[in-house]
Amino acid sequence: MKGAGAIDVAGLRKVFRHTGGGEAVVAIERLDFTIRQGDMVAIVGQTGCGKSTFLNILIGLERPTEGRVAIGGRTPYGDFDHFRGTLAAVFQQDRLLPWRTALDNVRLPLELLGRAPDEQARRARAWLDRLGLARFERAYPHELSGGMRQRVALARAFVIEPALLLADEAFGHLDEVTSAALRTTFIDLARTEGHTAILVTHQLEEAIDMGGRILVFGRPGALLADIDLHSWPRTSVAGLRGDIQRMLQSNAPLKEPPA
Amino acid sequence: MRPEEAIGSETVEAREARAPFRFPREMVVGLLALAVAWEIVSWFVPPFIVPGWGRIFKSLLGLPLDFVLVTLARVVGALVVSFVLGLGLAVAMYASTPVERYARPLVRLLMAVPVVCWILFAVLWFKWVEFRIAFVLVVVCAPVFLVDALDAMKGVSKDLRDMLRSFRPTRVQLFTKLVLPATVPAILTSWKINLSLAIRVVTIAELVGAVTGIGYGLVVAQELFSVSEVFAWTLILVVILFLAEAVLTRVEERILRWRA
Ligand SMILES: Nc1ncnc2c1ncn2[C@@H]1O[C@H](COP(=O)(O)OP(=O)(O)OP(=O)(O)O)[C@@H](O)[C@H]1O
Ligand SMILES: [Mg+2]
Repeated sequence: MKGAGAIDVAGLRKVFRHTGGGEAVVAIERLDFTIRQGDMVAIVGQTGCGKSTFLNILIGLERPTEGRVAIGGRTPYGDFDHFRGTLAAVFQQDRLLPWRTALDNVRLPLELLGRAPDEQARRARAWLDRLGLARFERAYPHELSGGMRQRVALARAFVIEPALLLADEAFGHLDEVTSAALRTTFIDLARTEGHTAILVTHQLEEAIDMGGRILVFGRPGALLADIDLHSWPRTSVAGLRGDIQRMLQSNAPLKEPPA
Repeated sequence: MRPEEAIGSETVEAREARAPFRFPREMVVGLLALAVAWEIVSWFVPPFIVPGWGRIFKSLLGLPLDFVLVTLARVVGALVVSFVLGLGLAVAMYASTPVERYARPLVRLLMAVPVVCWILFAVLWFKWVEFRIAFVLVVVCAPVFLVDALDAMKGVSKDLRDMLRSFRPTRVQLFTKLVLPATVPAILTSWKINLSLAIRVVTIAELVGAVTGIGYGLVVAQELFSVSEVFAWTLILVVILFLAEAVLTRVEERILRWRA
């Protein structure tokens, strides 16, 4: 499947009503923006600003309270099954099935899509190989290191060649070297495969590395800035980082745009 | 399923169940000591209270050993029926909330009834002896399979469920690729629980009306005031239980290789 289409976010609001008499939590106040097909987008924001909630809405696991999210004109929650084989996500934890070997974990989405067994095995092997795990295809998750497990999870996302690729702090909890290497792999793969990619992170380096667009989320769930790295007036990475940090700290857009 | 959380609170048995096979030296020494102590006591106490090993083994040879097979067949048959019923109902209750809401209290009720009452009901309601025994075993074991399997199904991690759902599985795929495999450890544990439960219950169930089986053998021994025969049967039951548990533990190890 090539191209899921543009992502339209209009008047999006999400409120969680805690069961048991607790107060309702506004996870997303209001979001409006568009992501074009093939964009590489990083979302940054402080903890609890609704990044994961937004991603879960994109995946179709949560329903918007108000407003609308559409991918190529279809809503992920309402047209749930329409997105079969179209999108894949990498989560903060690897979320591998512990009873399946690395290879069988990567095969899983192809099994769900009903692909022929030999095709499943061939494609899963190819992706494990590409992520440097050819020797570990028969290992169970508990026999792999955290970084290796996350690479298996990456292979599992890439194996269906999704038009839309989502990553939720997928590399944050690993050590710096591993995390940088995986991030680079993710970005390179997403770019060469021509996927639309959305990467949620709270590390600015990661966001800047993506080299496309950075959406800065304030709390609760509102857009502070929509930065196109190609047209943002700052030239230095340090300056850009300073801008973003100031916005996150004050939880407000910059008063005067950088000159 | 975080192994590092479990280790501290694990029993020795649980840890050994997963360790590779090792000669159980402590167990053998302990049992031998008990046997020797038993023999010594038997020298000072009349044989109709504590018979010595010589007498017990003599009785053992005289026992109708085909009763063992009969009892085992009853246990295995009833366990298979209980498992099919329990798992089937668990799946139905998992698939439909109304079914669960109606069935839960009924299952609770079944589990609250003492075994002795089931045996009396069986005698009052049914004529056919084999059916009485099967009824008692199934009514005791099936709820265990059901509740354990259902709880495990409901306990499947939301993270894994979300991961799988992001790939848009069918309902059947969600069940066969995630829920069922995640339930396997609980199913194996409930087999272990039910096996020892069934072996203990079957002998009581056989006390009423059966003319074969270990329970019947026990009644006969008691009527003859043959304490050594009672001991011989008990020995057989205990050995069966130990062997069955050992076999199940091996099976579990095989199937749960993927666990850390
Ligand atoms: N299922 C839920 N039920 C109730 N409240 C929720 C739920 N999911 C998220 N929330 C609340 O919504 C808010 C946003 O959470 P979210 O996980 O989207 O933040 P986040 O930006 O991903 O944070 P982090 O960087 O820590 O991952 C939080 O206050 C959280 O407590
Ligand atoms: Mg999050």
